[in-house]
Amino acid sequence: MLIWVCALHCEAGPVIDYYRLKKSHEVRAFDVYHGDDMLCIVTGIGKLASAAACAWVAARCEREAALAWINLGVAGAAEHELGTLFVINKIVDAETGQSYYPAPAVTTSLAASACLTLSLPSDEYREDTLFDMEASGFIYSALRFSSAELTQSLKIISDNRRQQTGKNRQRVSELVQAQIESIDRQAAGLLRLKQQVAALEIPADSWQQLLSLAHFSQTQRNRLRVLWRYLGNREFESQALLRQLAAHNTASAIIATLEQISYRDSEEL
Amino acid sequence: MVSCVYIESAVRDHPRASQLLQRLRKLPLVEIDHYGEVFNPRAQNFRLQKQNPAIIIAHKNKGQVLAAPEGYGLGGEHNYYFSHMLNCLYDCRYCFLQGMYQSAHQVLFVNYEDFGEQIRQTAARHAHKPVWFYSGYDCDSLANEPMTRFTEYFIPLVKSIDNAWMELRTKSTQVRSMLKQEPVNNIVTAFSFSDAVSHARLEHGVPSIEKRINAMSRLIDAGWPVGLRFDPVVYHRNYQSAFVDLLEQIFNRIDAQKLHSVSLGSFRLTRDHFRSISRLYPEEPLFAQNMNLDNGIISYPLDREREMIDFCETQLMNHIPAQTYHPCEWHG
Ligand code: SF4
Repeated sequence: MLIWVCALHCEAGPVIDYYRLKKSHEVRAFDVYHGDDMLCIVTGIGKLASAAACAWVAARCEREAALAWINLGVAGAAEHELGTLFVINKIVDAETGQSYYPAPAVTTSLAASACLTLSLPSDEYREDTLFDMEASGFIYSALRFSSAELTQSLKIISDNRRQQTGKNRQRVSELVQAQIESIDRQAAGLLRLKQQVAALEIPADSWQQLLSLAHFSQTQRNRLRVLWRYLGNREFESQALLRQLAAHNTASAIIATLEQISYRDSEEL
Repeated sequence: MVSCVYIESAVRDHPRASQLLQRLRKLPLVEIDHYGEVFNPRAQNFRLQKQNPAIIIAHKNKGQVLAAPEGYGLGGEHNYYFSHMLNCLYDCRYCFLQGMYQSAHQVLFVNYEDFGEQIRQTAARHAHKPVWFYSGYDCDSLANEPMTRFTEYFIPLVKSIDNAWMELRTKSTQVRSMLKQEPVNNIVTAFSFSDAVSHARLEHGVPSIEKRINAMSRLIDAGWPVGLRFDPVVYHRNYQSAFVDLLEQIFNRIDAQKLHSVSLGSFRLTRDHFRSISRLYPEEPLFAQNMNLDNGIISYPLDREREMIDFCETQLMNHIPAQTYHPCEWHG
């Protein structure tokens, strides 16, 4: 699942339209929009809101094999042109001084920048960093559920010393909309990485079928998981394996059979 | 492909850092306080990161020279290791670095003079006795040579210390900078080889066996002491014929009488490293083989290991003088 995290509806709108995400009517804590392998959550302003929303949505996605995140929003900068899109490579929380580093795992031609997350709005422009109000809360929370390679922040300049978009929501949406193709390319790269991670996991249905064959202790489950992940990733057909295992009715016999298959298979390297 | 450069603010003006930044000037640059901020956090995926690692330019504050682990080395009495960089350009699936570090980024330390000072002090503590300094424990000694210019500093340094010996351990072909220098008797370049099957399946990004034999041969011709390391030997169905072929390939080109040392050891990892790496690569046959846990180390069952080592030793002895052979002793 790829999760878009936006503070405001006007930031999320172009993403929701582009991917044709549908509003979820079951939940009330945050506005959430769903699509295939993707959702967008509108968190409200501030790092605490962003952190809370990430934790809340991650808990609802706990059955997903892997989560990837994009925090998309607008930011201020001293000199950069309005509408410029940046991938963030360093996030500093202004209050705590804590730094975070989204890992640069997606190959990109986008400009990169640091971003300072402030607790209160400010019009004090700094030369060497963008500034926003969410990124540090977002990454603090998202890194509990995903690795730094799957946790990205994209910021579009909405204010600089000369021009301010301020609370003009329509204009914010236009700035995001103008970059939607670049944003989509970044998202596609991230989705590919996420799929690499997810593909290594055991499909929930075959795992449940396997567990139903016998009673496994926790240690046996751990061993079973290693063997099943290996064979699944070597493209052994799970239903054929399950049929073969059905003849054995003890956990140790099932594990011994899977071990023999793995040992034989791995001798070729 | 390198994705970006992190640099500790304190080394921005260091001459070696400036050289590196010049080479890497087209990449995004991120300033950090300490390399551990980027290198150590837990929420990193080594496997994903390895696809586009970053370079971290840093200062090593302490512990530049450390005592080598028990059993590491060529049987000398005083063994130390040092790492001018952490992690590697190559991607060998059996490499313990994947389990040791959270991050696949390459850390390049620039304060060589501090390493040099510790090497001098350590050698002085064992005056008149040979002291071995192993490079290439946390990295490949030469693979990043065009960037690190490691040999330019460390070869003259070790040459100037009477009782110091240094091993450079490598799978690279980067010998050009050494060939520009006079050979030094107490500096051994040890080339690691696996058979062609293991090389093709497990040593991603490593130069071909042929190219490495070429590099070895050029160093020998120039008068440099050179060693051979067959470690780790990995089990597969055809390991015997593949090992025999590898030896043929090497000794067709290399005069065994000119070798400084040869060592051999079978695949092994600490339990923790094995667990972390096999979690990263659940589809990897190497980790699905029949293994045993012995004293915190995961390795082949004793009878298989014995059979592999006996076979490989016997084959080796058909080529090399017995006194150059040093088995890797790791069973307690
Ligand atoms: S060359 Fe050595 S250090 Fe580099 S990945 Fe291979 S085993 Fe590890």
